[in-house]
Amino acid sequence: MSTNPDPASQTPPAPAGKPETIVEFDNVWKRYSGKDILAGVNLQIRRGEILCVLGPSGTGKSVTLRHINGLTRPDEGNVTVFGQSVVALSEEQLSPIRRRLAMLFQGGALFDSMSVEQNVAFPLREHTRKTPREITETVAEKLAMVGLPGTQRKMPSELSGGMRKRVALARSIALEPEIILYDEPTTGLDPVTSEKIGHLIVDINHRVRATSVVVTHDIVMARTVADRLAFLHQGRFQFIGTFGEASRAGHPVLMEYFRAMGFPCGTGLVQVVKDL
Amino acid sequence: MSAPQSRFTGPQPSATAIFYRNIRWLRFVDRFGRKGQAAMEYLGGLAELAGETVHACLTRPFYPTEVLTQFDEVGVKSLSITGITAFSTGMVLALQTAYALAAFGGKMFVGRVVALSLLRELGPVLTALMVGGRVGSGITAELGSMVVTEQVDALRSMAITPVRHLVVPRVLATVFMLPVLTALADVLGVLGGLVIAIVQLQMTAQDYLTSIWNQLAISDIMSGLSKTFFFGFEIALIGCWNGLKVEGGASSVGIATTRTVVLASICVLVSDFFLTKLFLAL
Repeated sequence: MSTNPDPASQTPPAPAGKPETIVEFDNVWKRYSGKDILAGVNLQIRRGEILCVLGPSGTGKSVTLRHINGLTRPDEGNVTVFGQSVVALSEEQLSPIRRRLAMLFQGGALFDSMSVEQNVAFPLREHTRKTPREITETVAEKLAMVGLPGTQRKMPSELSGGMRKRVALARSIALEPEIILYDEPTTGLDPVTSEKIGHLIVDINHRVRATSVVVTHDIVMARTVADRLAFLHQGRFQFIGTFGEASRAGHPVLMEYFRAMGFPCGTGLVQVVKDL
Repeated sequence: MSAPQSRFTGPQPSATAIFYRNIRWLRFVDRFGRKGQAAMEYLGGLAELAGETVHACLTRPFYPTEVLTQFDEVGVKSLSITGITAFSTGMVLALQTAYALAAFGGKMFVGRVVALSLLRELGPVLTALMVGGRVGSGITAELGSMVVTEQVDALRSMAITPVRHLVVPRVLATVFMLPVLTALADVLGVLGGLVIAIVQLQMTAQDYLTSIWNQLAISDIMSGLSKTFFFGFEIALIGCWNGLKVEGGASSVGIATTRTVVLASICVLVSDFFLTKLFLAL
């Protein structure tokens, strides 16, 4: 059973032979407007896995994600990425770590003033010494990976919500990062596009051999992509484990969350897990 | 005969009344303190951004393409607004000066007064105010929108410092384009005065221009243009800081934009006094 109310032992140390820990949260606290959003979060993310972070709105899922690349700093506790603490690093010192990470923002965060090609080429121009021709080829390759070949000359304003997210995904994987952070990648998208994005996340994770952390409300997508789930509630991870473990754990808050999201729980959830 | 009644006699205020009177004072002091703290924090943030900007200007990486784009945005696209302002100011100045000097038979001094007023004071200040309104608010709106749509966070997550990529090009463009715009505004303002001198005051162009040429010193031009470097730095810095500090949604961007116009205008006018004192003392 993976339910673990004691935050100190939420993620027991991986036994020998298990994949290495690439990101670690150690008793992380974050407070906004006098309210503890994160209240002693402990989490270990393993190299190569896809971890889905679930939880009700306003519980700090995105805040957790933003701690990994140093966009948000904790009030207390430590966050280690690639074995190095990122808590006290300046923006300049964070640069080498951020080059190995990528983040897909909720709205895509494409640069309005740039075309699709310029957006995807942007990190390549900034951080590599590739020739313009090589950059053009890489951009075409990444756009093909996300299923948008031939859209190089379009402007972000000409794209639909799903296309914007896919272009943002192409930009994120341009440098072939070791960790990809997804902030609600399917929010606001129709079920078909959401499913496509889900498959894309799995596909990209395998192709660039990355570690993915996906913050989402979309349990159907989480079921499709996640190696493990982490359920955040009341500032702490109340559950960390696989879908199968979730069904057996019978954690009341998690079951309630699944039920509220219209997802079968209890024996139904077991059946769904068996169907996977 | 009874003694005159003291004005201090009468019912003494109760302890409760004294308590509430003190509370009112405490609240006033508290509110004043909070406003002061916010102002100090704002100035501290501006100073920090100024330091980071100067450091980023002197160290790699540079973004020349961005700088050139901003030169176009700040300089070329502000030409019409500053030109029209200066030309009409020059015309008005010539009319008013002629009206005031007519009583003393001093119409021949119109050119000199117009030129001195424009070159030393009105040209730099009016151009800075117009650029502060157009460019400063534009910078805040653009950067504020980028913050709201997470584009600034996207830059940071790609290991690109927003100060280098966003602030430095805008500050450099404003600092170097404002003197150019001011120089052009000075010329157009003098030409505006010339039009009035010829059409309204029946002066010849030669009289008008000679009166300027004979009296104008290089220090008159330089003191006006030197100020604009400072004005440009203030305008761009305030615009960038207010834009990068936007929190929330579209309404916050609007509020920040208004604040930039107000603060940039006040800063230009206040610093103009001190800069004028400084340049007169040099």
